[in-house]
Amino acid sequence: MPRRERTLAWLGSWLWAAVLLACALGLAALLRDGLPADTRLTAMLPEDRQSPLIERADTQLGQTFEDRFVLLLSSPDLHADTQVLAQALTAAHDNADPPWLARLDWSDTDLADQDPREDLGKYRYRLLAPALRQAIADDGGQSLVEPALRELFSPASQPQPVIDPFGLLDHWLGQFDDSPIQAGNGLLTLADGNRTYALLIGQLASSPYDLTAQQTLASIIADFERQHPEASLLRSGLVFHAAAGARQARQEITTIGLGALIGLIAVLWFVFRSPRVLVTMLLPLAGGVLFALPITLLLFGRLHLLTLAFGASLIGIAIDYALHVQCHRAVQGASFRLRQLLPGLALGLVSSLLAYLAQALTPMPGLRQMAVFAALGLLGAWLTVVLWLPRLTTPAHPFTARLSRRLWQLTMPRRRLSPALASLIAALLVGLVGWQLETDDSLRLLNPSPASLLEQEQHVQRLMGSNTGNRYYLVTAPSEAETLARLAELGATLTRWQREGATLRYTNLADSVPPPDLQQANLAHVRQLYGAPLTSLFDRAGLPARLAEQAREQLQDVPVLDVASWLATPAGRGQARLWLGDVGDGESHFAAMLPLADVEASLVPRLERLARAHEGVTYVDRVERLSGLLGQLRQHIAWWVAAAVAGLALLLAWRYRRWTWRVLTPPLGAVLGVLGMLAVAGIPLNVFSQLGLLLVLGIGLDAGIFSVEHARRAETWLAISLSTLTSLLAFGLLAFSATPALHYLGLSCLIGLALVWLLVPWVRPHGGTIAKEGQPHDT
Amino acid sequence: MIRPLLLLLLWLPGSALAFTLGDLQARLNQTDALAGRFEQQRHLADLDTQLTSRGHFRYRRDERIVWVLESPIQDRLEFTPDSAANIDDALGGDRRGRDQVATLLLDLLGGDWQALEERFHLELSGDAQGWQVNLVPKSAALRDRLSRIRLEGGHYLNELTLHAANGDRLHVRFFDQHPPAEGVDASP
Repeated sequence: MPRRERTLAWLGSWLWAAVLLACALGLAALLRDGLPADTRLTAMLPEDRQSPLIERADTQLGQTFEDRFVLLLSSPDLHADTQVLAQALTAAHDNADPPWLARLDWSDTDLADQDPREDLGKYRYRLLAPALRQAIADDGGQSLVEPALRELFSPASQPQPVIDPFGLLDHWLGQFDDSPIQAGNGLLTLADGNRTYALLIGQLASSPYDLTAQQTLASIIADFERQHPEASLLRSGLVFHAAAGARQARQEITTIGLGALIGLIAVLWFVFRSPRVLVTMLLPLAGGVLFALPITLLLFGRLHLLTLAFGASLIGIAIDYALHVQCHRAVQGASFRLRQLLPGLALGLVSSLLAYLAQALTPMPGLRQMAVFAALGLLGAWLTVVLWLPRLTTPAHPFTARLSRRLWQLTMPRRRLSPALASLIAALLVGLVGWQLETDDSLRLLNPSPASLLEQEQHVQRLMGSNTGNRYYLVTAPSEAETLARLAELGATLTRWQREGATLRYTNLADSVPPPDLQQANLAHVRQLYGAPLTSLFDRAGLPARLAEQAREQLQDVPVLDVASWLATPAGRGQARLWLGDVGDGESHFAAMLPLADVEASLVPRLERLARAHEGVTYVDRVERLSGLLGQLRQHIAWWVAAAVAGLALLLAWRYRRWTWRVLTPPLGAVLGVLGMLAVAGIPLNVFSQLGLLLVLGIGLDAGIFSVEHARRAETWLAISLSTLTSLLAFGLLAFSATPALHYLGLSCLIGLALVWLLVPWVRPHGGTIAKEGQPHDT
Repeated sequence: MIRPLLLLLLWLPGSALAFTLGDLQARLNQTDALAGRFEQQRHLADLDTQLTSRGHFRYRRDERIVWVLESPIQDRLEFTPDSAANIDDALGGDRRGRDQVATLLLDLLGGDWQALEERFHLELSGDAQGWQVNLVPKSAALRDRLSRIRLEGGHYLNELTLHAANGDRLHVRFFDQHPPAEGVDASP
């Protein structure tokens, strides 16, 4: 080796050591407070760039339910058991630091502070229940005198002859009193047929993805269920789903990750028979993780658990580089030079980086993170291999050379695949895929919750009559008043449909805050009611006329109820999620949501038509929209990767000329093969199986490049075989994951990697190697 | 002569102490049904005004009270116990509140101290011929609306006074009380 080159290599290895040291220090600093892990599967979903307002509406509608959880308890001794559970929850909260529970409502007095009577008192003359408005319109309100009189003399009422002789506020509030939640006997209860559930509603202080909250809640409930086997609990709330997802992910990272590692070590030990080679093999892995982890954390702030699972496996590709170096070294002994391998190594890195960086361009934050993590990890591992491995002397066991020759003999096919036959098979496969392959972009892929938990969730939602807002109208208008007017108009149509027998529920902000015009009209109606009917009421009740005058004075200066005032009251707080308020960029622009529930499928086209018929109204189906985004994402990835492969093909053609097809056949053939098998088996292609194909592409390209670079070398074939085998171990195991996302990813890899290994011998060039002759030429 | 006297002395205070809520309940429980007249006076503190009404009532234990107003208006109200009894936001006046007041009235007229004791501190004074019960709400939420209830009676409940937290007062006097004729339905 020339002197200058040696100095450079020496300098590079020390420089790399310094970089890794800095990374280690940085990582230690970042992890001082533990790993900021994120288990949210929805974080993987793309932001909708085209409709940021819908994105905001979606987020806001979803958020309210995110940090809330509901427990429904049924037990022979309901009162005592509910108390025990509630006390356990509050006690765990009191002992916790930081607190995890913001609020727990379970006793019959807990919801009493939400009585809106006091807050709405001064607005009552502008808030008129539709029935009263109709009565006044019919006969000026004379028909309301009789019920008001009865109210004055009933022992069960608390009349206010001056402030509200006709009970306007009671009527107003009465129309909202359809909550299925009953308060009594010290409990909040819900009836389900002849079964009574005690209700506990919790509000988490932190995110439902907070592991402390998840674990505390889970352990309290587990303890309670152990001690009260006769009681049964229904759970609802994102925190339970998040906990189930996180538990599963953690479990699988342990089992699958560990299984892959043990398998990897066993295989490497069998081939190289030296602990030192084993260490040098794992060194690039460590270098890659050490390099990727702190930089990814710095860039993204927190690490998604899936990034760790997927990304760590991706670094499995990194071991390819070490495998090639060590295999050549073990077989060639003292004559080994890294220089010969460098073109292949460099091309392998560039091709993988291109494939993963294509992912970084997608709009899914979670995917971007995975791509960055994997790309950095690969780069780190590659640099470790190139800069450090040649400097570490390792013993070469004669078994390795023997094994490589034996493998070569055993797996050398007598015939080669001709380009014509390859094209024919490829064309057939493309046809099959185009004709048969289906795609699936449903959100179920992202939902790892067990079926029983989903059932409980639906049961609870149904009993509580919750409106989670999966379908809603987004209403925009230039002013608050106009927004409310549009909401009221929609509400009127929906009410008419309900009366006509349509199955549908909805929550309308305009029912609580009537548009200003309507409030003005209401006041006019009340003035009418306070004429002759009021006089007649006071006469018949024997109340002095001065009180009637006092009552009329109340109608002066009645404030108009606006959205902000209503949302600030305890009762109105629950509707804050329906109001986006001023979203104007420049010009004033207001937005609100009208969530729909229990919508029968046949009603959807009518709902969509209604939206089109009104200005500023959009009908949104969150689930459909999200799967649409997922589908878009899948297509995006496909196009980006196709473009990356096209670019790569040009790059490869520049070096390999007529052999280019031999480099591309293992990766592309494997991808086509997987697609064909999915098509035949009737398994639809989804975004995760497509991610798996990306991996197959990366590993297949490495294999293709090396098999052409060093066509006649048995040690190269050994390295390629080891590389596919180790990756198969890492990803094949993922096919056994219960998380749908990982399962599909694993399945693609399992089939694809096996195909890569099977394809390489068939397309290997006959003649000499590029590395020896400098320039490729066909023989 | 001294011994009987001593015994009498020992027995006397004992008998006075022995008049407990349990006894009172047993006494009131003897009447399964009752009919009579009432006079209801509602004093509205802020307005310094009285609303007075009169009428008759029929009561059947654990079933219902029929409350018939005769003057100044004619009206017939029927109160039945509601399974989800809660009186914490009872005195408001919306429909659920009314049901809860109905339960309270049924409990008060029937002297169901066990039900009442869950919500009120009870205090009994007097003896079997003339007793008074004071009820003070236990929960702050209920105290915000209702400061106390006072019951007075002898053989039957004679007077009921609800003191609302805002100073309003509902006073009901029962008189001409008698068990309804056998076989006659409680509805008038």
